[in-house]
Amino acid sequence: MNDWITFALPKGRIMQDSMELFGKIGITCPEMDEKGTRKLVFENREQKYRFMAVRATDVPTYVEYGCADIGVVGKDTLLEQGKDLYEPLDLKFGYCRLAVAEPKELQADDDPANWSNIRVATKYPNVTERYFAAKGIQVELIKLYGSIELAPLVGLSERIVDLVSTGGTLKANGMVEVETIAEITSRLIVNRASLKTKHKRISEIIDGLEPLIGDEVKISQ
Amino acid sequence: MRFTDTTPEAALPKGVKDFLPLKAAKGEFLQQQLRQVFSAWGFRPVIPPQLEFVDELDKSLGDDLRERAFRFDDRQSGRLVAFPPDMTPQVARIVATRMKEAPLPLRLCYSGRVLRHAEEQAGKDRDIFQTGVELIGLDSPEADAEMIAMAVECLSAVGAQQFTIDIGQVDFFRGVMDGVPLTGILAGQVAAAIDRKDSSELQTLLQTIDIDDRTREEILALPRLFGGCDVLNIAEKTVRNDRSRRALDNLSHVLKTLDVYGVLEHITLDLGELRGLNYHTGITFQGFLPGIGRAVCSGGRYDNLTEQYGYQVPATGFTFDVLNLLFALDKNLDKQVSLGSDALIFASGSDLQPAQKLAQVLRRQGLSVARDIYDRSLQEAREYARKVNFNTLLVVNGEQDEVQIIRLNDATEEFKPYNALLTEQFKI
Repeated sequence: MNDWITFALPKGRIMQDSMELFGKIGITCPEMDEKGTRKLVFENREQKYRFMAVRATDVPTYVEYGCADIGVVGKDTLLEQGKDLYEPLDLKFGYCRLAVAEPKELQADDDPANWSNIRVATKYPNVTERYFAAKGIQVELIKLYGSIELAPLVGLSERIVDLVSTGGTLKANGMVEVETIAEITSRLIVNRASLKTKHKRISEIIDGLEPLIGDEVKISQ
Repeated sequence: MRFTDTTPEAALPKGVKDFLPLKAAKGEFLQQQLRQVFSAWGFRPVIPPQLEFVDELDKSLGDDLRERAFRFDDRQSGRLVAFPPDMTPQVARIVATRMKEAPLPLRLCYSGRVLRHAEEQAGKDRDIFQTGVELIGLDSPEADAEMIAMAVECLSAVGAQQFTIDIGQVDFFRGVMDGVPLTGILAGQVAAAIDRKDSSELQTLLQTIDIDDRTREEILALPRLFGGCDVLNIAEKTVRNDRSRRALDNLSHVLKTLDVYGVLEHITLDLGELRGLNYHTGITFQGFLPGIGRAVCSGGRYDNLTEQYGYQVPATGFTFDVLNLLFALDKNLDKQVSLGSDALIFASGSDLQPAQKLAQVLRRQGLSVARDIYDRSLQEAREYARKVNFNTLLVVNGEQDEVQIIRLNDATEEFKPYNALLTEQFKI
């Protein structure tokens, strides 16, 4: 098993984008294209590649513990979890922004310079805390697991920190983006030991992919 | 079953563990194997203390480790004391303050535990088992190679099949960065991006700095300078500055010696590896096993450490993180470590003396033997012996009777005269 390369990929669109990119350097997995499959692990025995479909937030964990050698995950998740991993490639897809947003009415007479003791709802408590701490603003963090835009509408918090890609969801809920914390794209991550113990195969993958990635970032919808 | 939140309070602080017999036996085995290799290469043990004065310790600890030491005040002296977070600075202190007159080179080894505050993430140990060596008084590439060849031998001795020793040279990095106007947060960000091998972030960061294209190219090459020994050639073409070139020269000498030792198949290079930048001054290296992202051993050259205690002498060394090693090799060790004892001796009659005497004789023969002192049935004793991993159960009646030998792994039995067991070497 040790000469296999295992990928951890987030289920959904990013997995499709990743496989499309990997396909260009000949890494394929016909097993994955079977219709209606509910499998979570796919193999290409001939090329000795294995692919695991996992939740995006779990990708860094699988790679950190070495269950997967390589993973693809959004920079947002990496920033939030701060794990000890290599991030050799910015794949440039899955573009969005991690941003502070607030209701339109609030924005009208709001000056970020006056913020203090604000309540912020977010899926990203660590990034949010670091961001506001760096600006010298005390925040009360409210960790939510989804539908963050709801929080200001029902008075749970004044502001939110969340991913924004086209801005459609914010607009529909009467919110505006006020500050950008970070620009997010998908990253190729590699387990530290794997990069050393399987450096030939992994270098080939990194060197193969690097020239294929353009300068343009892509939104993955 | 219902989940309740009335679970009893956790018995231990986070980051520390109890080791029950099966795990403890494996940990013990690993330390023994390592110490055996150390001794075979002529290293002699030292035992540093578990408490040090903070101001003494701080002289040689890097910022990172300094913050991670457990410190408190000493009621006896009124001074601040700390549990050492690393044993290398302790050995450096011992050499500089107590062994100045000793002839060089000094080959010293140690095996002990240190405490460190860990980041709050789950699974990080705070109680760290360090077993390692320091080679003091030599600054030649041969000394660096000796450390790496020993680390390879250690990994073979503990039964690791596939492993890599990844070598770096911090002076290569320092040479590239010399004269680059970087300070404070930005310097930290650049180092972190190189450490993560994050080329795109590095590129973005460098755009804000005023440097010439040549230097920019050198810095941008750092995240990709890893792999087999051919990295050396690529690096030679990439850098121009003298310091980095000297570092490469040193590295190539080390590799030549490693070739003689016949261990090159386990070697990889990584010139963008910055771990250990705190007190290392030349070659650094880390040992990796497939599947575990943390290094199982790490080491390197630290020529400035003893100087902090007033004695300037070059030094190099490495240490194994025994818990990481145990985590990586846990399953392999099942075969290598004998987890049980040889024999349990059960007295079937009321006269206990023959059983006691046999136990003592077998122990003198070098076997691990326990008496089943409880007053219980043979069936119960047999069940106990099986569960506690005894290889055999010996049922002793009287000195004139035969002893029943029950082998617990395959349940075969045989009988032998009591006196024969006393005189012959008993085989399990």
